Amino acid sequence: MSYRIAVVGDQDTVTGLALAGATYAHIHTTNEETLAKLNEFFDSEEIGVLLITHRVAEELGYDFRRMVRTKRLLPLVLRIPDKTGYVPKVDELREIIRRTVGAEIMIKKEGS
Amino acid sequence: MAIALAVSPTRMELLKLKQRVGLAQKGHDLLKEKMDALVIEFFEVVRRIQEARMKAFDQLSVAHRALSMGFAVVGTLETKQASKETKRELQVEISTRHIMGIAVPAVEVGEVERNALVRGYGLHMTSSVLDEASREFERALKLLIELAELEASAFAIVRELEKTKRRVNALEYILIPRLREALKFIMMRLDEMERENFTRLKRIKAMMEKRE
Repeated sequence: MSYRIAVVGDQDTVTGLALAGATYAHIHTTNEETLAKLNEFFDSEEIGVLLITHRVAEELGYDFRRMVRTKRLLPLVLRIPDKTGYVPKVDELREIIRRTVGAEIMIKKEGS
Repeated sequence: MAIALAVSPTRMELLKLKQRVGLAQKGHDLLKEKMDALVIEFFEVVRRIQEARMKAFDQLSVAHRALSMGFAVVGTLETKQASKETKRELQVEISTRHIMGIAVPAVEVGEVERNALVRGYGLHMTSSVLDEASREFERALKLLIELAELEASAFAIVRELEKTKRRVNALEYILIPRLREALKFIMMRLDEMERENFTRLKRIKAMMEKRE
């Protein structure tokens, strides 16, 4: 099956990724609007990958996290940094590793 | 201390319990092996994610810088207009792959980078700076999609890992100790009954000898 790309974020991120060919886009202004749009995106059969900036994801907070938890296999959700390169300090993946494995694990790059 | 199961102290029950312990032990070993395999798989994916993430995010910041140039040279409104005019029909192929029984997504991205003529925005209002920005964003998008695939598989694996770990622990710390406890109880009880019987016989024998 082929799917399309959706972007949610600030003006610059959306403009840039739209230039690159992302079909669906939403510029975040208010939480209600963005959540409604996200609901639409999550229900859509067409969207395979949803890109959302960390800043917006954080602003939506719990509602967004619940959406991601209860979604089907698709769309794949990826949080990306915005123009300022903003990435939260707590890495979600690292947090999960800590919880499952029970230890902080540092992964070194090969050769270092 | 594990709470013993309610069992009747009979030889039949003892045999049954022994069988159950054996089975539980076998299941435990198998699950543990599965867990080890999952952990190896998981760390492989995590390593790849970190490489991919660095590459993708670097490319994204390069793209943002190029876009800022586009905003500056072409103008904010014109750039936004171009982003609306451009053909936005990128498609990715997504299917599922199975890693040890876990469904993980497999994404196939075709060629994301396009020729300036194919993009579809009007060329007379824009400049090559905007083409540059578009190209950088196309590169970034491709990397981001690949990263999304990896992260999704990592989450799928981790979910399975958690489930497996729960099962292993339930077997190791609850079911197996309980069964062993019950086993011990039955064995003690049977031994005790044997001793009771032995003294009873002794006593009867003594009584019979006295009577004669």
